[in-house]
Amino acid sequence: MRAVPVDDNAPAGLRVKDLSVAYDGPHVLTDLSLGVAPGELVALLGPSGCGKTTLLRSIAGLERPDRGTISVGNRIVTGNGTFVPPERRRIGMVFQDGALFPHLDVRRNVAYGLPRDQRRNGRVDEALDMVGLADVADRMPGTLSGGQQQRVALARALAPRPGVLLLDEPFSNLDATLRLQVRAEMHRLLVDLGITTIFVTHDQEEAFVLGDRVAVLHDGRLAQVGTPDDLYRRPADRWVATFVGDANLFRCSRPIGTCLTPVGEVPVLVGCDGPADLLLRPEDLAVGEGDNGTIELVEYYGHDAMVHVLLDDGPSVKVRTEAGPAHRRGDRVGVTYVGSGAVALKL
Amino acid sequence: MNEPSTVTPSTVTPSTVTPSTAVPDRAVRHRAGSGRPPWDLSVGAIAVAALFALPGGYVLWRALTGGALHLLVERRALEPLWRTIQLAFLVSASAALTGTALAWLTVRTDLPLRRFWRVVAPLPLVYPSFVGAAAFRSGLTPGGIVHDLVGHLGIDLQFRLQGLVGAWLVLTLFTYPYVYLPVAARLSALPSSLEENARLLGDRPLQVFRRVVLPQASSSIAAGALLVFLYTVSDFGAVHLMRFETLTQTIYRTRLFDQGRSFALALLLLGLALVVVAAERTVARHGARTEALGDRSSLRIPLGRWKAPAIATCSLVVGLALFAPAVSLADWGLFGWFRQRRGLAELRLDWGDVAGATWSTVWVSTVTAVVAIAVVLPVAYLLARHRSRLGGIVNGVVVAGFAIPGLVVAISLIFWTLHASPFEFLIGTMPVLVFAYVVHFGALAVRTAQVAVSSVPRQMNDAARLLGAGRLRRFFTVDLPIMAPGLAAGAGLVMLSTMKELPATLLVSPIGFRTLVVRIWDTYEALYLAEMAILSLVLVAISALLTWFLVVRRADHLA
Repeated sequence: MRAVPVDDNAPAGLRVKDLSVAYDGPHVLTDLSLGVAPGELVALLGPSGCGKTTLLRSIAGLERPDRGTISVGNRIVTGNGTFVPPERRRIGMVFQDGALFPHLDVRRNVAYGLPRDQRRNGRVDEALDMVGLADVADRMPGTLSGGQQQRVALARALAPRPGVLLLDEPFSNLDATLRLQVRAEMHRLLVDLGITTIFVTHDQEEAFVLGDRVAVLHDGRLAQVGTPDDLYRRPADRWVATFVGDANLFRCSRPIGTCLTPVGEVPVLVGCDGPADLLLRPEDLAVGEGDNGTIELVEYYGHDAMVHVLLDDGPSVKVRTEAGPAHRRGDRVGVTYVGSGAVALKL
Repeated sequence: MNEPSTVTPSTVTPSTVTPSTAVPDRAVRHRAGSGRPPWDLSVGAIAVAALFALPGGYVLWRALTGGALHLLVERRALEPLWRTIQLAFLVSASAALTGTALAWLTVRTDLPLRRFWRVVAPLPLVYPSFVGAAAFRSGLTPGGIVHDLVGHLGIDLQFRLQGLVGAWLVLTLFTYPYVYLPVAARLSALPSSLEENARLLGDRPLQVFRRVVLPQASSSIAAGALLVFLYTVSDFGAVHLMRFETLTQTIYRTRLFDQGRSFALALLLLGLALVVVAAERTVARHGARTEALGDRSSLRIPLGRWKAPAIATCSLVVGLALFAPAVSLADWGLFGWFRQRRGLAELRLDWGDVAGATWSTVWVSTVTAVVAIAVVLPVAYLLARHRSRLGGIVNGVVVAGFAIPGLVVAISLIFWTLHASPFEFLIGTMPVLVFAYVVHFGALAVRTAQVAVSSVPRQMNDAARLLGAGRLRRFFTVDLPIMAPGLAAGAGLVMLSTMKELPATLLVSPIGFRTLVVRIWDTYEALYLAEMAILSLVLVAISALLTWFLVVRRADHLA
């Protein structure tokens, strides 16, 4: 894919403030606030039903929130008595299945959002060029592969030069190998274009790989916003800790200074008052010589392996180890802490 | 990609079509969020409901104010009602039996020539019941093929098919496809794993049929049988030809000199029909359903020594329902020319007359189809895109329109235009005829239109919105092209039903406007049987063509 600079239209920032959405019943989104800087790539991550798609659709104007404001650049598009209909928001969106118009060829699909006078001035080819699909302009969507359809959908969304781009689980309908490929291509293109992008995913890996920042949604509220490393290393609470990556949690009554756990002394990096859980990621632990647990299960991944060890005086823990035939089910081993400090999560 | 293949062959009947509910979870979740329908859509839908409620409402009003309701408890009124119900029960039972047997044989067994049987089994639908009745009766009268063949043996055949037996036989033969189609669709959608499991759990084939197949198909059978019941109750032409006086006959006979009685009986018939439709909808909605996912290859039960009786059964049914009427009509038509002395009257065929009637039929049914689709489209949008109470109510009114027998619609509209003072200019005009058709057959269109609207993925519409397209542009550039095949199917169904409709056409047509059914009726009553046969064959040919496109090809997709 080749990047074509977005000329006169600088990317716009986006601000969501105190947004609440309820469909005749419990709230789907509750008092949600989120800021996105111009040119930033933000992932909305959460389990299904957490409201992330509703948030995306509210930004697009496809849902009418009950309360709150949404502004794009310095223009309020929702709230304070105004509601700009989606067709006038200059927001581009790529849907899960592409939503290409099946009765129009690729060229007409991409031209759909352009004003009449711009449909023939080369913008269509430019947009198709960006996604590397200039050669399929005359084909019908039904004849394209899933990955191609998704790229055409992206070209269609980008052609009218939107200020903000929204992606709704754009890779979830693709099979595993294709997904990685299309994801990498889109990633490069979006970074090159520098367009403000918000995308929804339930796949933690996807959120981490693509997002400059990741916003984790839980039950219609924002659980945490931060860089992928923040989320992984310093989750805000136990729910985020377990939702994002594998977690071993050890109960600790006074998480200040160091804590004694079944795997030894663990320095507390971020403490808190009262009883808490210490978060030990699988790579913070190591399996070696010793005798404080029995291997229950070995999951082999190729680049590494995950060993489940049942500690003699404690719970079962997951330990990430180098791949290799070193460990077998039933072996007696010693689990030790090798990390540089743990985060305490309030109960 | 978005082929509206969700229209099952059961689309012949409005109430057995289940609109595609295969919307992904999130779409359902967001549907509620789409909120209240726009005001213009609501207003449009209410207007449509008002139009559809007019004929029934007028009958109700006239019956209540006519002071003739007490007639309903008289013996004289109850006799036609009793005859109607008697006939309807007999026909439903025999049609259910025939339709189910044929469906099971053609879908689930190793019957030879299964593909052939599957194509011909639903085809008797192409005969309007009164044409079928006319074909049978004319075949048995002097000059008819049966009478003459027997005559060669030196026997003067005195047997005339009429009365309860005649009506029962004819209506069974031409309505069993209403059971056959949904049951066949159901059986072929039934995963073979169910039956295989039952076999593995120890059931013998016959037990499997009784304990697994029949319960799974029972709601389809019941729904089909109820439609046959409705058809029989509303039938006008066949019972008239068979001289069997059901409610429709009494209403027709008394409409001029005893309007009070006519409207009171019309209300009775209307009530009966509504009860049947309500029952059908309840039945169709219930019933546990298991659909085959992916693998559609169903178990073939070897018939063994039952093969010959099975073939005989299929041949008998199809022979009587499909080939016998065609042969009888063709005999009258073809040889009428040569053997002028044979018939009760000479052939007085005027080809210009045939062409004119054909043109009128095609023209009026096309106009009706287009109008019907346009009228029900707001309702379909309301139902498919917005969740509102209004949608349910409007849909109920439109479906009730289908329940109202054509004769009742016709009588209501005639007297309404006569008596409603600002509307006299409508008396005997084309718009009233089209209106009658649309009210009667709108339900056929609303189902398919609803399927068509929901075949447009919501996301497709959202995508167009975000690309800047307003409502009109979205409708014409996105919705309409995607809905087109589905809407065409709905229009085809309306056309098919319109060109076969007898009582409404007979009563409401403007003077001098003679479609094929009107001409067939007139020529039969005048006993110009050869001409009647030729007109009938033209009508059957046209409706066969349409049925082929609408039913058989789709049924084939399922197989």
